Amino acid sequence: MKGRAGNGHGPPVQRYSALSLVRHGLTKGDWPKVWRTHELERSYDVVVIGAGVHGLATAYYLAANHGARRVAVVDKGYVGGGGSGRNTAIVRSNYLTPEGVRFYDRSVRLYQSLAADLNFNIMFAQRGHLTLAHNDGSIRTMRWRAEVNKLEGIDSEVIGPDEIKKLVPFMDTSAHTRYPILGALYHPPGGIVRHDAVNWGYARAADALGVQIHQNTEVLGISVKSGRVTGVTTSQGEISAPTVINCTAGWASLIADMAGVSLPIITHPLQAAVTEPVKMFLEAVVVSGSLHVYVSQTDRGELVFGASTDPYASYSMRGSLEFTEELASHVLELIPSIAKMRVLRQWSGLCDITPDFSPVMGVTPVDGFLVDVGWGTYGFKAGPAAGEAMAELAATGKTPALIAAFDLARFPEGRLVGERGAAAVGH
Amino acid sequence: MSGVMWRPRGTRVSAGGARVGPRPGEVIDRAKPFSFSWEGASYRAFEGDTIASALVASGVRVISRSFKYHRPRGIMTASYHDPGCTVQVDDEPNVRGAHRRVLPGMVVNSQNSWPSLRLDIFAANQVVAPFIGAGFYYKTFIKPQRLWPYYEKVLQRFAAGGRVDSESAHARYDKRYAHPEVLVAGGGPAGIAAALAAAEAGARVMLVEEEYELGGHLRWGGQEELDLLRQLRDAVAGQEGIEVLTNSAVTGRYDDNWIAVVQRNNPHVVERLIKARAKSLVVAPGLIERPYVFEGNDLPGVMLSTAARRLVNLYAVKPGMRAVVFTANDEGLAAADDLQSVGVDVVRVVDARSGGRLVRARGGRVLSAVDLGDGSSVECDLLVTAVGWTAPTLLTNMAGDRPIYAEHAARFVPGLNLPPNVLVTGGIAGDGSPDQLVAHGRATGTLAAATSGHGSPLELPALEPADHPSLFRSSTHGFVDFTEDISSKDIFAAAKEGYDSVELVKRYTTATMGQAQGKLETLNTVAVLAAATGRTIEETGTTVWRPPHVPISLGALAGRILEPVRYSPMQPWHESHRARPIVAGLWIRPEHYGDAAGEVRNVRENVGIIDVTPLGKLDLRGPDVPRLLNFLYVNKWSKLDIGAVRYGVMCNEDGVVLDDGVTGHLGPDRYFMSTTSSGAAAVYEWIEDWLQTAFLDWQVHVTPVTSAYASMNVAGPKSRELLSRVVSDVDLSPEAFAYMNVRTGTIAGIPECLMWRIGFTGELSFEIHVPAGYGLEVWEALMDEGRDLGVGAFGLEAQRIMRLEKGHFIVGQDTDAVTQAYRAGLDWLVKLDKDDFVGKPELVWESQREGASRLVGLQPIDPNVVPPEASQIVSGASKIEGRITSSRYSPTLGRSICLGIVSGHLVAPGTVVTIQLPDGALVAAKVMEHHAHFDHEGTRLRG
Amino acid sequence: MILINCPNCGPRNSAEFAYFGETKPRPDANETDLAEWSHYLYMKRNPAGWTSEHWYHREGCRKFLVAERHTVTNEIRSTGTPGAGHGG
Repeated sequence: MKGRAGNGHGPPVQRYSALSLVRHGLTKGDWPKVWRTHELERSYDVVVIGAGVHGLATAYYLAANHGARRVAVVDKGYVGGGGSGRNTAIVRSNYLTPEGVRFYDRSVRLYQSLAADLNFNIMFAQRGHLTLAHNDGSIRTMRWRAEVNKLEGIDSEVIGPDEIKKLVPFMDTSAHTRYPILGALYHPPGGIVRHDAVNWGYARAADALGVQIHQNTEVLGISVKSGRVTGVTTSQGEISAPTVINCTAGWASLIADMAGVSLPIITHPLQAAVTEPVKMFLEAVVVSGSLHVYVSQTDRGELVFGASTDPYASYSMRGSLEFTEELASHVLELIPSIAKMRVLRQWSGLCDITPDFSPVMGVTPVDGFLVDVGWGTYGFKAGPAAGEAMAELAATGKTPALIAAFDLARFPEGRLVGERGAAAVGH
Repeated sequence: MSGVMWRPRGTRVSAGGARVGPRPGEVIDRAKPFSFSWEGASYRAFEGDTIASALVASGVRVISRSFKYHRPRGIMTASYHDPGCTVQVDDEPNVRGAHRRVLPGMVVNSQNSWPSLRLDIFAANQVVAPFIGAGFYYKTFIKPQRLWPYYEKVLQRFAAGGRVDSESAHARYDKRYAHPEVLVAGGGPAGIAAALAAAEAGARVMLVEEEYELGGHLRWGGQEELDLLRQLRDAVAGQEGIEVLTNSAVTGRYDDNWIAVVQRNNPHVVERLIKARAKSLVVAPGLIERPYVFEGNDLPGVMLSTAARRLVNLYAVKPGMRAVVFTANDEGLAAADDLQSVGVDVVRVVDARSGGRLVRARGGRVLSAVDLGDGSSVECDLLVTAVGWTAPTLLTNMAGDRPIYAEHAARFVPGLNLPPNVLVTGGIAGDGSPDQLVAHGRATGTLAAATSGHGSPLELPALEPADHPSLFRSSTHGFVDFTEDISSKDIFAAAKEGYDSVELVKRYTTATMGQAQGKLETLNTVAVLAAATGRTIEETGTTVWRPPHVPISLGALAGRILEPVRYSPMQPWHESHRARPIVAGLWIRPEHYGDAAGEVRNVRENVGIIDVTPLGKLDLRGPDVPRLLNFLYVNKWSKLDIGAVRYGVMCNEDGVVLDDGVTGHLGPDRYFMSTTSSGAAAVYEWIEDWLQTAFLDWQVHVTPVTSAYASMNVAGPKSRELLSRVVSDVDLSPEAFAYMNVRTGTIAGIPECLMWRIGFTGELSFEIHVPAGYGLEVWEALMDEGRDLGVGAFGLEAQRIMRLEKGHFIVGQDTDAVTQAYRAGLDWLVKLDKDDFVGKPELVWESQREGASRLVGLQPIDPNVVPPEASQIVSGASKIEGRITSSRYSPTLGRSICLGIVSGHLVAPGTVVTIQLPDGALVAAKVMEHHAHFDHEGTRLRG
Repeated sequence: MILINCPNCGPRNSAEFAYFGETKPRPDANETDLAEWSHYLYMKRNPAGWTSEHWYHREGCRKFLVAERHTVTNEIRSTGTPGAGHGG
């Protein structure tokens, strides 16, 4: 990470480290700002819409890998306030299709070195990821995923109830439950990350390289002339730019409409909940497709849960009672002894669902208007790889092989990338 | 000055014990004393005591250790969200000790301290506090990365919270639906008045109160308040139509006034979720007292005025010996009076309204002195603060309202954007005397009742938030979030660093994300942030309150876990014949009866019967049924004679295979469709979708009859012989009843049974559908009659083997979400010269594409290798060319057989492909000409 | 739990219904081309505002209804029996 001059008081400490923590503690000096605020300029080379992990990673890699200097990230709210701040922060690469697996594996590898690259502890804990199978169709899908994973060099294997019990002693693996666990897809590299830290880490690193982050700057219109994008109208003023990238979730259709581009997206809320903390008892991340639930335990001791998206399209982030009811009953079917734990908080974010549960990335019929959308319920884990690839596309004009299969044109051409068996809990 | 004595387990105690003589409003029953256990030692309590009040009465001052710094904490708010009183009770973690009533024999322990509450090793964190401010972990533990798991273990040790036990017994939870016309959230004076007025008008009322008894702040008031309290309680007791739930709380208001209530006062259920669709919701939660931010504000001995008043008046407990009171309102003065009335030496009352200032509190493990703004220091063991209030606006927020900051009152209040079915009254709306609150509550109650058509609404009297000085932080830094150990210094630092919006500072410092759910922290966080960034509170805004309003257990949310199971009528026979059950969707079916290979042999040599009741069945009637069939299936259906049956495949509009089955023409305008068992419900809805939204003029009536019939397949060379022994009114001879035909007749004396001659197994077979109530009887009759023919039951596994031998694909196993019809090998079935049918345009385009992958039959070169299903077909180093979708060892052929999808350039019959087994071994297999591995011509089933 | 006013059964909890998505006109399958058909199959309006959609009363009368719902507030301003012309 390149250095920059400190702009606070006291010694100009730029890098984070245990040593700098001690120095700050002793001298009571201020840390430099994590990212700067700027006046909105009239023109940029690239405007990225959305200051979530995708947008920030794209901007960072544009600057870091391609030397781009005039990049702006605009967001109608605060950094990481959308899906990037509302997800359950699971990172894994145990997908179904070779294209999907390669892509998410790239992301996992980036996550592995991200803390050092960004000089920001993102707390990526590769605790192991278990996808439970409760019927033979599910076991078949797990094996399919395991085999594809292995061929792509990723650590995944199908394990039986005894091994599952060793990994998760609290799990009910007996044969007498309503939906007995027949096995699971075990993916040791999978785990959890501190999502806010990833957002802030990318923002800080991008800012250090000259990227301008504009919060509270809402995109109101996109100008297109003769099939080319020419700029963006925001609540803080107009910007001209030859390249505009849609990195939003929940608002992707609205933004794309502004450029006259149709997307195969429906927006559904995805809810999550967290319990009060208890002493650590769950190391791995546990997912059950049949029971529509996933659960992990944070370092703070809280259980974090997710389930399926709400069954109808909506832009409401108010949450529902049905979600926590179903969630609770399914979690207790898996781990019956935690009935006395209490839900402390529930929230939701917006997910853009595509017909094949794979994202939409790359060029659109409008020149210069690129999309990195349709991330459904699996967007956060993809942030680093998506940002890296979109940056390459924006900088070089060539679509990287890693994302070629996710193009918008695949829909009329019948090349859907079917990730339904691995995307998340049942849709 | 307080004398100190040492107790066996080392928690400090003030001299003289702390329980005083009877108070007029006390909730304890002195006639019912008992003992309970705290930290291994025995303590006394009275019925009505909370865990915390009993401990404080015994002089216990330190009840917990804080999250990060492990600072000693004691009682602070004496209410549900008291951050210093979270304890473990038996196997229940995170019990709110200042709210939960203590019971005889209860075993209570502190959380989050090691080895003991008194001697907590992690208190050493306080030494390194300057280095471990909020968010410190983002700035360190970065390298070397491979050590992060170890660093993580270190951080996990700090995790606050109690313990769960894997052997925890399952407690009883339950749920309930309710339909109150008026639901009142909050049983203080305004809430009670609203409930009374609504019930008097004739409405059905539910009144929900968090504490164990109604009354709100009247309970710890003076004589006037207590008199009013008695009046109100008597009125409620005497009023019909009010269901009172105490020790319960409204946890959320969802779409269309769908309201969640957690009920804890039902003696038979630990905790119960009530889901109420209320016509009107009255939000009357009162106000939550706000702590003051100053150095030392978390020391045991520092508490809120409402805490002091509760302890004194409800529990007859003296919270200390020598007190300083710092107040900005009259409630603080009332607290001083209450303390004096029980003999506490109130040495100073510092009134902020006349310039008094509180600088800091000092002490070692507990409070020992207070520094004031005039430069003086006062020794004391009790500091009471009264600096203002917070309105708990979660429920109004959930109804779509945004709170606005009332600067003159120094708090946020509900905005003006409530839907007509949500009303507010009491402290959350404004301030007033008890009578004023009651008057406003009454009027609100009449409004609420009128929404349900009861009575006429009174005009609302004025109830405005009163002026209150803005007092958030003294000149020193102190805790803002006690449950997360976040101080105002942390917020200043975060803001300086750029985490300067309220959402960012919350996420960065974790302030408001702890167990008090923001109730004590939010306003102080906003105020401190505003000061740190030079903005007003209004400009800073506030964080979004998130449900649940109070924590609710997973058990209550789950209730009784009901997971229905579907069985066929023949289940008792399967169970008594050692069937091994398999989960198939909602059904439990027999997988086999001990020897699947033997079952296959018996079918091919003699006769077997399989229970296929889950098979989807639809009764279709009307003149337009052929049109419907032509539209839904890829093949032609206009010319199907009565008595004939045809196989069909349905696709989606994208050409992807949706379902398959056979449909028969039973009579004039009468057809019978079968679907896969997993597709039964979906196909029915698929058909209804087309009929009801696209082809409204078609005359077709559909009745799902899947569970109306018990279905069995009688298969094998002797199946006709067997069936003829129980059927007399249908000619079963091959001439009269050809393959792919259907007849209706009497089986074993049961009329109106359907008989189809079709063959999934590849043998001569009859699929019979018997009215469900007679299924078991007919099954047993067949088993009886066929004994000498060698009849035996066969299960799903044997059927799977046989269908694979015959090359029948299974939708969803041999096809997936992207398999279009041609790819599944259905060229022979698709009739593109038909008019519009579902999937046609896509299938036209698919038929024109060359080189696409296809489903083919495969046989491993080594006949004893059975590749597990989903094994990948590979080429080169690791290029994936397809996968095995179905795979079994065939007892009939004595070798392994498969179906699989392979890339277009490998589909030619005779091509040798490579399969990678899960253990990494590579085996060769040959692409076959047909999907069927056995009797491709179908001679056996046409016999 | 949204309250849906079923034309046959009256106001019922949304959990009784299955959501069938935005209504969309179906092109003539015999006259269509790849672009138009793909648009019909895959592209969505997905508005943040009023939308017209089908619900199916799965645990009730088993009839479809058309609802006009605001996707941000979940307010439903009308429900009715589907008329001809809507695609499935």
